[in-house]
Amino acid sequence: MVTLIQRILRGNPTLFFVYVILFVFFVFAASTAPQFRTVYNISNLLRQAVAFGIVGIGQTIVILSGGIDLSVGSLISLAACLTSGIMIGNPTLVFPIVFLVLGIGVLVGLTNGTLVAYLRVPPFIATLAMSAILQGSVLLYTKKPVGGVTRGFMFFANGQLGAIPFAFVFWVILLSFFLFLLRRTGLGLHVYAIGGNQEIARLSGIRVSVAKVAVYVISGFMAALTGLFLASRLGIGDPLMGQGFELESITAVLIGGTSLAGGKGGIEGTIAGVLIIALINNILNLLGVSGFWQWIIKGIVVIVVVAAYKVKE
Amino acid sequence: MKQEEALRMVNISKYFPGVKALDRVTFTVNQGEVHALVGENGAGKSTLMKILAGALQPDEGEIYLEGEKVFIPTPQSAWERGISIIYQELNLLPDLNVVQNIFLGREHRGRLRVLSYSTMIREAESLLARVGVGIAPQTMVRNLSVAQQQQVEIAKALSLNAKILVMDEPTASLSETEVEKLFGIIRDLKSKGVTIVYISHRLEEVFRIADRVTVLKDGKCIGTYSIGELDRDKLVKLMVGRSFSETFPEKAKETGPMVVEVRNLSVPRILKNVNFSVRAGEIVGFFGLVGSGRTDLAKALFGFYPHYSGEIVVKGKTVKLHSPQRAIAEGVGFAPEDRKSEGLCLGLSVKDNCVMAVLDEMRSTFFLNRRRETGLVQKFVADLRIKTPHFYQRVQNLSGGNQQKVVLAKWLATRPDFLIFDEPTRGIDVGAKQEIYHLMRQLASQGKAILMISSELPEVIGMSDRIYVMHDGAIVREFGWGERVDEERIMYFAAGLHVER
Repeated sequence: MVTLIQRILRGNPTLFFVYVILFVFFVFAASTAPQFRTVYNISNLLRQAVAFGIVGIGQTIVILSGGIDLSVGSLISLAACLTSGIMIGNPTLVFPIVFLVLGIGVLVGLTNGTLVAYLRVPPFIATLAMSAILQGSVLLYTKKPVGGVTRGFMFFANGQLGAIPFAFVFWVILLSFFLFLLRRTGLGLHVYAIGGNQEIARLSGIRVSVAKVAVYVISGFMAALTGLFLASRLGIGDPLMGQGFELESITAVLIGGTSLAGGKGGIEGTIAGVLIIALINNILNLLGVSGFWQWIIKGIVVIVVVAAYKVKE
Repeated sequence: MKQEEALRMVNISKYFPGVKALDRVTFTVNQGEVHALVGENGAGKSTLMKILAGALQPDEGEIYLEGEKVFIPTPQSAWERGISIIYQELNLLPDLNVVQNIFLGREHRGRLRVLSYSTMIREAESLLARVGVGIAPQTMVRNLSVAQQQQVEIAKALSLNAKILVMDEPTASLSETEVEKLFGIIRDLKSKGVTIVYISHRLEEVFRIADRVTVLKDGKCIGTYSIGELDRDKLVKLMVGRSFSETFPEKAKETGPMVVEVRNLSVPRILKNVNFSVRAGEIVGFFGLVGSGRTDLAKALFGFYPHYSGEIVVKGKTVKLHSPQRAIAEGVGFAPEDRKSEGLCLGLSVKDNCVMAVLDEMRSTFFLNRRRETGLVQKFVADLRIKTPHFYQRVQNLSGGNQQKVVLAKWLATRPDFLIFDEPTRGIDVGAKQEIYHLMRQLASQGKAILMISSELPEVIGMSDRIYVMHDGAIVREFGWGERVDEERIMYFAAGLHVER
């Protein structure tokens, strides 16, 4: 395990850098706020991280392919509202709803992917428009928090396996799966190749369009999953609860060292990026700093980290 | 001994807008030989090879592999038939490792279609060993030298079971020892039965490595010769020598004071100790083949390489040309080779392009002064006879010749003393060429110093008062005032044949 980590870090100095930052933030948090060191707080922090963490995986893969997905925020809101709004505490509906919501996520991803890959709409525009459409739809559906989920469904986000939050275990499983997908499957390699140079990928016989669609489908699926998670966490869906997730997820990806141009980076870095953002949120909450300051500080962190990457190049 | 025929391309023609790039070219390569394809810039070598590689489709003609007629609609179908091409600009992904690059798009899969890197690494090692290099298969391509990247491309070609391997200017950016290594690899591949088509400008290399040579000129096949029938002079003669059809304006009768003097100009790995001068009233021609550093020299004089060493003297004053802004301020103007991407903003109007370099002069406090702009544009449109329906026409809608005139107007607006023209007549028709020639000569006689870079020998000879020939980032020969000069002499030096083996 240790040697594996060593190998990964040696091959990738950027990754080393971002984990050092994570470590520094962690030490800072632990030394300045005594409340930070409680089991309650840490598991709370991990839960927070999972929400960004799930959608961040999808966003990483899209960005690696040279694209971007701005529709995840509204998709999360839509998914959460549909979940609680249809379930209204009825346990028999849990599984059908999960399938429905994830299916909608896949459908949205399929649409994004088709627009980008076959109709050549720039990803920024395709997903921005999709975001507007989804946000409008969810606000037509409900203008205030709606419905409610079952107690059993709340286990997904709030349950514990001993001292460890179930959600965190779930995230780790997801991470392992997608790490494997990126590092050990053809699709993963092709995503890197397409992000690196689409023309070379095409001339190498890679089916670029198919891979692109797959990438947006993954992102849509992960956003829908995040919506389910948030509905489970809060017990209710809010039509604006996904707001800001598109930018936070991109922030986590960038802090994690993935290049916005594509082809370089990976989920390994995004994990650290997600944890760094969760740490910043958490410590500033504990210190009673206003949410507006949190925005400012996160903005500064992104600028500093990404500038540091650029300077290093 | 009759050798087996590996490849025969018959009567291949290819038209690009306004040019006939290939005109019924027939090209035959025997099994297991190293066949050099030579010709001047723009002779059609790369076009012919792109057709072979499936990257371009011929407008006419047929291709036979081992006697069998084939169609090569895509690069993939070329590979499947055992044809691999290594382009000058390498086609590897820098952020993937060697193994991933070699097998990209054809990965080995194990159970559940999971990539089996262990098999790929093993195979990559054996491929790299066949090429005879010790590159660790998991190195990121970003961290390899150009020569190593080329070796990886060769390994990739071998993994595709290449029977015919085309190398386009493979030595352009290699050092002496790396070239030796490459030749070792080529001989080794040849002994293993791989047929190699070797495109090069460097004729001395052709004599060292090739068995037979095919010469292309102006899109036509001049002939195929075995290397024994040729010597340097003969080969050069075959490559150049064409009938003069253009007429050129009269040359300068007298020149004025020194305008630009360059002493020991060097840019690491690009230019080596370049010395030359240009006087007011003269046109100085620079000739060099691709990779000779001629365009880099122009760029250095225009402030593209701030870390140059040596001295640039403009009108008796040593200047530091660390940026294009500095260069413009010192009176240098530069009409670049690629007019569409470097010379003009295609989507903007004739007027906007003309005033682009002198916006400060067009401004009264905050706003651009429309009347001043129009005045300037009016003058140049009339002086240079730019054919445009109005000043607000987008330059992308103008013909090549008129576009070039807009570039010229843009630089004349800065009132330069020294003008650099890089390929001033590339892609423009014959009539417009004449006009550009006369404009250049007119500017010279008005006292401007002009440096013209061109890869068209008749143009260099017809236009220049003096000629410098570049090879490998250095000036290798100057042909002075009134010195006898012909295409063969120039090509001899440009191809590096003056260097003793």
